Amino acid sequence: MKIIINGTEIEAASGETILEVARRAGIKIPTLCYSEAFGGQGVCRLCMVEVKEGNRKRLVASCTYPVSSEVEVTTETPAIQEIRRNIVMLLYRRAPNSAYMQQLYLEYGCPGDVLPVDSEERCILCRLCVRACEKVEACAISTVSRGTDKHLGTPYDEASPDCIGCAACAEICPTKAIDVQQTADKRVIWHKEFDLVTCTVCGKRFSTPIFIERVQSKLGQLYDQELICPECKRKRTRKNMIAQQLGQVEGE
Amino acid sequence: MSQQPVINPDSRMIMVCCGTGCQANGSMAVFQALRQALENSNETGVQTFTKSTGCNGLCEKGPLVKILPDDITYCQVQAVDVPEIVDSLKTGLPLERLFYRDPVTREKYRSHHQTNFYKKQKKIALRNIGEIDPGSIQDYLDRSGYYALRLALQRMTPEQVCEEVLQSGLRGRGGGGFPTGLKWKSCAAVDSIPRYVICNGDEGDPGAFMDRSVMEGDPHTVLEGMIICAYAIGASAGYIYVRDEYDLAGTNLTAAIEDAHKHGFLGEKILGSDLSFDIRIVRGGGAFVCGEETALIASIEGNVGEPRDKYIFPTEKGLWGQPTVINNVETWANIPVIIGYGAEAFASVGTKGSKGTKVFSLVGKVVNTGLVEVPMGTTLREIIFDIGGGVPKGRSFKAVQTGGPSGGCIPENLLDLEVDFDSLTAAGSMMGSGGLIVMDDRTCMVEVASYYLNFLAGESCGKCVPCREGISLMLATLKRICEGDGQESDLVLLESLSKTLQQASLCALGRTASNPVLSTIKYFREEYLEHINKHRCPAGVCKDLTEFYIDAEVCTGCGLCRKNCPVEAVSGEKKQPHMIDAVKCIKCGDCINRCRFQAVKVR
Repeated sequence: MKIIINGTEIEAASGETILEVARRAGIKIPTLCYSEAFGGQGVCRLCMVEVKEGNRKRLVASCTYPVSSEVEVTTETPAIQEIRRNIVMLLYRRAPNSAYMQQLYLEYGCPGDVLPVDSEERCILCRLCVRACEKVEACAISTVSRGTDKHLGTPYDEASPDCIGCAACAEICPTKAIDVQQTADKRVIWHKEFDLVTCTVCGKRFSTPIFIERVQSKLGQLYDQELICPECKRKRTRKNMIAQQLGQVEGE
Repeated sequence: MSQQPVINPDSRMIMVCCGTGCQANGSMAVFQALRQALENSNETGVQTFTKSTGCNGLCEKGPLVKILPDDITYCQVQAVDVPEIVDSLKTGLPLERLFYRDPVTREKYRSHHQTNFYKKQKKIALRNIGEIDPGSIQDYLDRSGYYALRLALQRMTPEQVCEEVLQSGLRGRGGGGFPTGLKWKSCAAVDSIPRYVICNGDEGDPGAFMDRSVMEGDPHTVLEGMIICAYAIGASAGYIYVRDEYDLAGTNLTAAIEDAHKHGFLGEKILGSDLSFDIRIVRGGGAFVCGEETALIASIEGNVGEPRDKYIFPTEKGLWGQPTVINNVETWANIPVIIGYGAEAFASVGTKGSKGTKVFSLVGKVVNTGLVEVPMGTTLREIIFDIGGGVPKGRSFKAVQTGGPSGGCIPENLLDLEVDFDSLTAAGSMMGSGGLIVMDDRTCMVEVASYYLNFLAGESCGKCVPCREGISLMLATLKRICEGDGQESDLVLLESLSKTLQQASLCALGRTASNPVLSTIKYFREEYLEHINKHRCPAGVCKDLTEFYIDAEVCTGCGLCRKNCPVEAVSGEKKQPHMIDAVKCIKCGDCINRCRFQAVKVR
């Protein structure tokens, strides 16, 4: 079917979210809790858009609203702008120590007299870390409690037996709120200390043994038995590709 | 009033209200004492049965004891009154001192049926409560219980059942007000099995106990409603989600399910039909947000009780991704009546857009605290003043909060509002599940808004930003105003945040959370401005903005305030005007609450 976004007709499949359709067409809708890897969560509400269905207009979260009929979508209206400004202001108030939120706060022209709750806080509770943790099948962290007490953590804020120290959570965090302490041969994350394995090429310590094990068991035969860090792996792949290309050229 | 003697019947039934309110006031002791005194004895000359029932509604005057067929109602009965009650049954002279006394006219009434509290009510959902022993399926059957189910299974097609419910105009009593018949029809139309039926018994509003009374006092009506729905939509399993705090409700429902099995109303091939259906009870985890249907479903599934966006309704993808009908307890209680008496009879009660009756829990500053059921369209004035007996202690009415914590406050000039789903929404409030909290002139509306937001700040699930963070900032702003640090621009901020909450929140909790703020700003803006500009709380509630004084011209020098002041801030000679020492005064408000001459005032 076809839907209209900001006046442009776009082909959309039933069940696809408005955000997916818009991104495919190169139309920008801001998000904070969305990642293509996990799909929409409907948490940050920054992606609110106006949907017109028949004569009925309403605001919906574009990351969770599935297209089921030929609707008309507007991604920017004064009302939406006010909502986004308020959301950014509220998240800045919550996480004033995040450079990312500081930047958005200026970008959205929020009022200047917001009194932050905790000047050290960086987490905006977007939950991308939780989704990443689920994706690596660790499920070590989740949101805890409810209401204004809601926060992220391991059960009882203790070292979790499920944590594999992969730091995928810290990697995906948009506000750099997750504390990873890394020394030459140790990593501490979520109250747990991990040894690190060494890259056989450059000698850098790069991942936890338990994470490597997890990847090996997942990939089985496909796994390259050599312990090699992502950086060296990239370099080697590049080198191989170039050599292959050159070989092909020479062979002709 | 002349004293009519007690009738001399063949047998007599004594019903002791054992609803939660009455139990808290010792009704179980009354029940046991009566049973001991009367059961298996011929003391009064006739065979006498005693029975414990669910909530009669007049909780203010509990424990209640009703005597049939004499039609006598005794109020505030204690175990020590039992010997006298037994004597009165022997002598034939009823105990006038235990009669209901009208709070306004002071007239005494022999039967509760004669009182204003009951006369203006119409009992549909609560039809059996107070009349039956909730533990007895026979009591329910004696009052045409399961007749509607039999009728549906043997005389109607599932489509006809859906149509009947649709025609009745019944709208969901949990707060949303969605047409129940439409919900059932759209669920039945989804081509996927199994389908599920859920009863939402997670009543969490402060001061609300409508659903509790139904589950405790008439559990079979809930079951019957659900079984009829199972037939109508082709469901195979049902769940009753009971708020964890409602222990008695869980116990009574469990017993009712067992009895329904024994009588063939639940299980395989119900009443010889093709319908097989069973009901399980799930205890809630104590989160207010689990009253929201998608959060409730998540909770039953064993997940964290958080709502999801409802762009796809539970009727299509509900429990475990299957089509699900979820209705509130009170909605279920109406179903047997609609099927049993027909849609037309049901639709003859109520207003154009809202059919039937609505149960309200009437609490706060009102004489007759309790549970009332009135036709839709009854005015707030009738409910609060005629049924509720008005505001106690000579104080004046200020506002009524409807719809639970995220409802709105309605002022005096809207008291003639005919209550239904649409009129309340238009007034900036909502029906919600039916809480009515009456407030008198000793209530500060800014503080009230702050109170409800404080509740919601703790009970928001915390998933979406507008609700979690928005409520937090609005609460901080309101507190600032109450402390005297507010600015007029705060009202602009509150209104802007309210709009964001209404439009962008994920679920109904967040979308309605700003109602207490918006409605108080709308109807009591002056009070906000007085806090902000004059640093004065006119109700004398916000301590930083209050100074009490005694009006020397009104004060009689009775000394009541002086004797009770916890910090000895009041001084004065007997029969001479008193004074309050503003430095010593801790602004607890005890003096203003006690004064019978309205001599204590706020400066």
